[in-house]
Amino acid sequence: MVQVQVENVRKTYGKVEALKGASLTFASGAMTAILGPSGCGKTTLLRSIAGFIGIDEGRILFDHEEVTELPPQRRGTAMVFQNYALWPHMTIFENVAYGLRLQKVPAAEIRRRVLKVLALVEIANLTDVETRKPAALSGGQQQRVALARALVVAPKVLLMDEPLSNLDAKVRQRLRAELRRLQKQVGITAIYVTHDQEEALALADTVVLMDQGRIVQEGTPQEIYLKPTTAFAAEFLGVSNQLEGEAAAGTLCIAGQPVPYAGQVRGKATVIFRASDIQMEDPSASLRPGTVALQGVLEESLFLGAHYRHYIRLGDGVVMADSPEPRATGPVRMVLTADKVQVYGEQ
Amino acid sequence: MIRRTLRMSGTLLTMLVIFGPLSSLVIWSVAEKWYWPHLFPQQLGFFYWAKVLQGDMLRALRDGFLIAIVVTVLTLLITVPLAYVLARLPIPFKPVILMVFLLPQAFPQLPVFVNSTTLLYRVNLGGKFWGVVLIHMVGALVFAVWTMTAVFKSVPETLEEAAINLGASRFKSFYSVSLPLATPGIIASTLLVFLYSLDEFTGTLLVGSPFVLTLPVYMYRTSVGYELQVASISALLLMVPGVVLLVLLERYMKSEYLSMFGRI
Amino acid sequence: MRLSLRLACLVIALPPLAIVVWLFFLPFLSSAHLSLIREDQWSLRNYYLVWRLYKFDILYTLWIAFFSLAAVLGIAVFLCGYLRVHVNRPVEFLFKIPLFIPFVVVGHAMRVLLAPKGTLNAVLSQVGLINMSDPPSIAFGWIGIAVSLIWKNLALAVLLVLGAYRSVDETFLEAARNFGASTFRQIKDILLPMSRASLAVAGAFMFTSMLASFSVPLMIGSGEPPQMVMIDVFYRINYQMDYGTANALGVVSYLLAMGVAGYYLKTITQKEA
Repeated sequence: MVQVQVENVRKTYGKVEALKGASLTFASGAMTAILGPSGCGKTTLLRSIAGFIGIDEGRILFDHEEVTELPPQRRGTAMVFQNYALWPHMTIFENVAYGLRLQKVPAAEIRRRVLKVLALVEIANLTDVETRKPAALSGGQQQRVALARALVVAPKVLLMDEPLSNLDAKVRQRLRAELRRLQKQVGITAIYVTHDQEEALALADTVVLMDQGRIVQEGTPQEIYLKPTTAFAAEFLGVSNQLEGEAAAGTLCIAGQPVPYAGQVRGKATVIFRASDIQMEDPSASLRPGTVALQGVLEESLFLGAHYRHYIRLGDGVVMADSPEPRATGPVRMVLTADKVQVYGEQ
Repeated sequence: MIRRTLRMSGTLLTMLVIFGPLSSLVIWSVAEKWYWPHLFPQQLGFFYWAKVLQGDMLRALRDGFLIAIVVTVLTLLITVPLAYVLARLPIPFKPVILMVFLLPQAFPQLPVFVNSTTLLYRVNLGGKFWGVVLIHMVGALVFAVWTMTAVFKSVPETLEEAAINLGASRFKSFYSVSLPLATPGIIASTLLVFLYSLDEFTGTLLVGSPFVLTLPVYMYRTSVGYELQVASISALLLMVPGVVLLVLLERYMKSEYLSMFGRI
Repeated sequence: MRLSLRLACLVIALPPLAIVVWLFFLPFLSSAHLSLIREDQWSLRNYYLVWRLYKFDILYTLWIAFFSLAAVLGIAVFLCGYLRVHVNRPVEFLFKIPLFIPFVVVGHAMRVLLAPKGTLNAVLSQVGLINMSDPPSIAFGWIGIAVSLIWKNLALAVLLVLGAYRSVDETFLEAARNFGASTFRQIKDILLPMSRASLAVAGAFMFTSMLASFSVPLMIGSGEPPQMVMIDVFYRINYQMDYGTANALGVVSYLLAMGVAGYYLKTITQKEA
């Protein structure tokens, strides 16, 4: 169980600054997800922790010891790659055993540990693994083997670079839960990079949100989702609607409609609320106190299987609202509780 | 720090390996008197350059260039259409045709060219300008057909299909879509064909000499005749087009193009 | 296809095909034909003469080709491995230079460098390593030829092997590095096994080219036996006008080229399967 610290790390590629002075601590034994859109620097950060790329400024520490200058061979991390990176010319056994062979572990011990870790990731079938090559396995199985290869060397830190992105949706769901279980069972410090917010929220003890080389917010999944501190964070998580508004003491004007407002923001504001938090009512129903109500016109509904997504015209824009039932087109009132409406001033 | 010293010494070692053998050539070309075992000539000068520029070498240089130009133009003209056909049209016997242009690379050239020389003499082309042009074209065509076919194949077929869909004839789609897009690759292979002809030795020696000489054959004759300065000057001149081409085309150099130069 | 298009294709294909067939395939086949004719009669005497006169030269040629190929591949495998892992563009560029220097020039350059009174011996004599009255002759023996072939073919090998190595995805190497593999082990365990097919093809190609080398031994050879096979063919034609034996030797060289290259490719592809 190792604690990883990243201090003020900067990395520039040509003209692009991929990391702009990021500082983080990854708690030992925890699973931390680094979440963000493409190009936010999450993969760059992960690879610099692994040692595949050098950083221009800053330090990286494992348990307070600096590893910044160490090559990847000597850091004691283990990475699980998006494309599995299983060597196609080696058998499954040889793939998993490679790290141990390089450490000059005796053959009998290698055998014991490899078979044990393969059982842990649930790739049973003893005879097969010593003759079959990775190409004979399915994507999900290959990723399990990659995971086994990483775990068998008992690394200090487990690094995962969007490991489930190449897999089918069903396999992804199943492996997600297993990854979580395994990490807890082994108790290893794990860092998981993904652009899939659902995955990050489901897997992690701590979620780190990144945008354009900077760390935007850090916290538990619940904190990140329910209390986003910036417009970017609010917008990135969940299916969000983003509108312009004007905030004053006690009143917030959204698309020309005033609603009660208890926050501190004044002047031009960005208002964000989620499709799943909207209740739809008939415009003639009585207004409940403490709620935010907006009047709009429902123009279209799409059936998405688990629910309907309604597209409601509000002023110049269109708002998405999700509900389990269908609804006729026409005037509609959207109701939200005040805490579900995130308001951010000019930033 | 260690890494950087290693890189520097690696680069220096490479320079020694690559330029070392060539350096003696350079020194010989400006040596007027050089006796063994001195490391450097006793007397440097351009005496031999003057001598060479008045003599047979100029003729060999001129003939070599002329032949190369003719070979290049002819090869270009007859290869580009064939390459397009091979890349795009479903003609019969395509694998056989491709084999015809592949097999010559697999077999030793000399014994074949010995017999080709006889054939050329039989139609009165031996020892003549056009005989040498033809023997050069054998190698040039074999190289050009494969590389130009690959170039045309690399133009996305959908672009031409879009043109044909809109009513263009096959010729028009070739001329206004494929050809412009294939031009960089065609230029690169054409320049390589030029270099190939300039550097060709075996065929020229058999077919051309002693009547038609190109620079490589001239260089060979002076080298074995121990006219070391003249040979070295010729060698230097022979290297120039190659190095110029290398510098110009570094960006376009793909291994498929360059493999044929392993044989020259 | 429309008839007019078909005719056009025929007209387009004819000139290049005609030239290559007339000046390569006909002579190629006529080698076989002429090798069986002696004094206007069908005869196997040419092959008998080849066996009697040239069997040692054939072995000599094969030896030079094998030795040079082994040296070239041996160097290229590790040099390119190093270049793949630790990029060094200047070195890569430098190694492209010999590709553009014709074999004849290489021959002359090596001749000047490696002759008994050549520049290499001049340099070595400054440090007292040479017997001045009888300086060693590297140039006019098999070593001189091998060095020339190695120098020139190394450029091609570096190009082809580095190309093969580059087609190995970086994540495979990163994974190996991740688990502790040094550069040497990355070459040995990952790059080499994953490029076997390409290396086999490159090796076969270079071997046949070395077997068939003519201009280099012409420039560097001593003029005395043993000689490389192409020199023998050339001398047989030029000095003895003996087309029969020369072509027989030619046919033997075709068979050698096909045979060794085919065998090499077959064993490698069998190992893959």
